[in-house]
Amino acid sequence: MKLELGNFHVKDARFGEKTYFEDGILTINKEEAIAYVMEDEHITSADIIIARPGEAKRIVPVKEAIEPRCRVSGGPVFPGVTGGIETCGNGRTHALKNTSVLAVGKHWGSFGDGLIDMSGKGADYTYFSQLINICLVADTDEEFERYEQQKKNKAIRWGAMRLSEYLGSAVKDMEPQDIETYELEPVSKKSPEVAKLPSVVYVMQPQSQMEEQGYNDLVYGWDANRMVPTFMHPNEILDGAMISGSFMPCSSKWSTYDFMNNPTIKELYGNHGKTVNFLGVIMSNLNVAMEQKERAAMFVANMAKNLGADGAILAEEGYGNPDADFIACYRALEDIGVKTVGMTNECTGRDGQSQPLVTLDEKANAIVSCGNVSQLVELPPMDEVIGELAALGRDGLSGGWDGDEKLGPSVREDGSVIMENNSMFCGDQVSGWSRKTMKEF
Amino acid sequence: MKKAILYINQFFAGIGGEDKADHAPEIREGLVGPAMALDGALKNAVVTHTIICGDNFMGSREDEAVEKIMEFLSDKEFDIFFAGPAFQAGRYGNACGVICKAVKERFGVPVISSMHEENPGVDMFKKEVVIFPGGKSAAAMRKDTKKVAAYGDKILAGEKLGNAQEEGYYIRGIRHQVIDKTMEPASKRAMAMLLNKLSGQEYTTELPIPKVERVPIAAPIKEMASAKIAFVTSGGIVPADNPDRIQSASATRWGMYDISAEARLEGNGVYKTIHAGYDPAAADADPNVCVPLDALRAYEKEGRIGSIDSHFYTTVGTGTTEAEAARMAQEMIVHLKEHNVDGIILTST
Repeated sequence: MKLELGNFHVKDARFGEKTYFEDGILTINKEEAIAYVMEDEHITSADIIIARPGEAKRIVPVKEAIEPRCRVSGGPVFPGVTGGIETCGNGRTHALKNTSVLAVGKHWGSFGDGLIDMSGKGADYTYFSQLINICLVADTDEEFERYEQQKKNKAIRWGAMRLSEYLGSAVKDMEPQDIETYELEPVSKKSPEVAKLPSVVYVMQPQSQMEEQGYNDLVYGWDANRMVPTFMHPNEILDGAMISGSFMPCSSKWSTYDFMNNPTIKELYGNHGKTVNFLGVIMSNLNVAMEQKERAAMFVANMAKNLGADGAILAEEGYGNPDADFIACYRALEDIGVKTVGMTNECTGRDGQSQPLVTLDEKANAIVSCGNVSQLVELPPMDEVIGELAALGRDGLSGGWDGDEKLGPSVREDGSVIMENNSMFCGDQVSGWSRKTMKEF
Repeated sequence: MKKAILYINQFFAGIGGEDKADHAPEIREGLVGPAMALDGALKNAVVTHTIICGDNFMGSREDEAVEKIMEFLSDKEFDIFFAGPAFQAGRYGNACGVICKAVKERFGVPVISSMHEENPGVDMFKKEVVIFPGGKSAAAMRKDTKKVAAYGDKILAGEKLGNAQEEGYYIRGIRHQVIDKTMEPASKRAMAMLLNKLSGQEYTTELPIPKVERVPIAAPIKEMASAKIAFVTSGGIVPADNPDRIQSASATRWGMYDISAEARLEGNGVYKTIHAGYDPAAADADPNVCVPLDALRAYEKEGRIGSIDSHFYTTVGTGTTEAEAARMAQEMIVHLKEHNVDGIILTST
């Protein structure tokens, strides 16, 4: 499989008469873009607002982030989701780099939604503060979940995906500024020089805890809860096979943007043929029942063994209950002799004194730790809020509250906030961006 | 100038060795023994008093010793408290830990000690007390004292304190996140760790697995037919209006609700779950799937258990820290004991 990601580096985005990309400027015909999004009858109101790094803007509730792209062959960017099923990871895809389309609730938030500050101290907590964010701020007719804490957020998440395809199509016929090429030979067809290097797999545990469909991460449109672990080519993940869900406390979440740009896959590619023989990705999941956890761990370990893996990087999209999957899988891999490095965040409590993962095993002896979900974060007011600030306290976001005996409400009258890291949008960056770690104090 | 007080044992006070280890607590104005080195090393404080206590006295009559020392301190002004260094002396290490913990709790001042890594006092007290690694014997007095004095000076000057590794004290199981933009991203850290692990070279995990604290399993109930059973749940089942406003995640509150008149927990607006960590549909429709009161009532009727406690006890487990959970359990236990409960069915999600 050979994937060419053609990059168009966006220096600024603005609104104009038509949608096009020129000299680093992405111009968006706002009316046309909104009309395209509103072809979905479930979206009752929509606006597009641009937030740039350094601006005094706070975006909340953010439900999803997507890199604007188009598939040059004409197929959907997200097969099985925004169009029919077709294999991705092969051929040419164009991307508007340095930007992301954000799905933002005009009013209503939910448990898995997050917050992004575009400047100040808050900008240290999420990768997305560095990007030019094209915010789709929308409301929908999904009355069945209007006052639910858990929301599927389908219309607005799908709207953001479609908006990203609309924007991406502006560069469909243009020549990219640069092209990243990702090519990985089949497992049994490696050259002798590559084959003699230690073989490694990347084991991903995307979020799949909800029994009801509509909340979990999707694999080619298929609910990750309904599958056993499977083998995938890394290009598929970089090229739209994986869609983020709408359930997990936000700092632990991997947005669709994170899947499309997964830094750990790129790191493994960078080392392929030099220090390791990168075999591919084992796509697992994070189901809640013990038997499902054990079954998944067994599948992962068997697959790793039969692929001939010597080593693995294992990453979980979540904390709490999913720690059991993470540790079970870690143990299963070590037990068959696959030397494993884990990537996760921790939940040590606001005082830092709680057990970092729900379950532990001494075999999990090499872990990269990306943050503490329960760290308290206090942020000053911002000049502009995109979305609705009240949602943080009112709508049951995992890191917000409407009242607390000691701390008061999350959202204060002056627009400042106090919250748990839990609701920083994809803040712990376990997919690989994280420049956070955990230290003993 | 800020003020410091030091705790030492009878040996370092020059009173005597094992034969004087029953020496009762006393407080002296000014500097005794190691207090001189500490006073000399401290830049931002003077040592005003030295407390002396025999190691045996502290070991065998701890409550009395602590009470007396608290009394000594109650009318003293001090900004920081030191104990030791205790080197490898086990009983002395224990004494330093006990007194530092008590002083910290009572007076809220920083407390610092120093012990050799094999001193059992390290593991017993490192969570409550900042303890610096020290030498095996008094030969290290000057060096060990310098370390505690330097850290004390930093606290007193209001300087930003580093983490355990940077400052050099024993790690304590208190973990916080650190943002460091100069650090390699997690993907590169993982790759480097993997390469080292694959080639058998050394690497440092960012999450050392701590030893798990296990609660001993209770003795079995002898007579189930006369036992009183209670439900405790972390599944978030509450009366529909959630009267105690228990949080849906990261809970710090819990509730106990009277079910003495209930045959089962009704859904449909009577009971529901407020737990945000699982799909609530099944538990909202029938709360007994989480707190199976209906099944236990049947057992009660059949005489398989004696009775069911008048209340059930509930909180939310998702994101709730171990420390908060343990505190809430301690608070529930008071009521469970009062109700003479013999056994608990603990349900999760």
